Amino acid sequence: MSAGQVFIAAAFTVALGLFAAVEIIGRREGSRVPTLGDVCGVVMRYRVGPLPVGRIAMFGFWWWLGWHFLAR
Amino acid sequence: MDRPELVAEVDRAWARPVVLAPVFALISLVGGALPSFSLSANLLVLGAGGALFWLGMSAAVPKRPAPAKLTREAAWWLLPLLLFAVVEGVTFLIGSQAYPTLSRLADPVLEHYPARAAAYYGWLWAFWAMVRR
Repeated sequence: MSAGQVFIAAAFTVALGLFAAVEIIGRREGSRVPTLGDVCGVVMRYRVGPLPVGRIAMFGFWWWLGWHFLAR
Repeated sequence: MDRPELVAEVDRAWARPVVLAPVFALISLVGGALPSFSLSANLLVLGAGGALFWLGMSAAVPKRPAPAKLTREAAWWLLPLLLFAVVEGVTFLIGSQAYPTLSRLADPVLEHYPARAAAYYGWLWAFWAMVRR
């Protein structure tokens, strides 16, 4: 791996570590920080009229992500 | 004295982790063995994802309650999200193997069967967690 690749891998690792850290903080007793599941739940409740836009967007994004990494 | 009746939604038998875990494991073990860009790999992801998408849009699975609105502290989630978006965005714009995007970094890892099958398993469970929301 080149120095650039190591730097980018480290940056992604820090980002993923921060995701984990915020989730751990959110799961602590009495925490005011919501968990990732709570944030997703609120986003997924977003509707435009009768259309559950938030749900469709989250499912569509996750479906695409699986296709991108696991089928391509 | 009358007591308020408590109503708890019970998972359907097929929606319990004890049933889903082996089903997801089987899909992952098969999916992990399928080569990239193959028709079978595409069909499996489209089929499994489509089924979960359909379940998530239907009322077949009881949903867990979400908070009415987010607290101000939810802004902490922007920290990892923005860092991730900036790194991914910059590496995408550079478009060089010297500064790879996440998918380019993941490609050599996901070429190995155990890693690909594990990623499949994680993807399915995360999808299921969203279906339950």
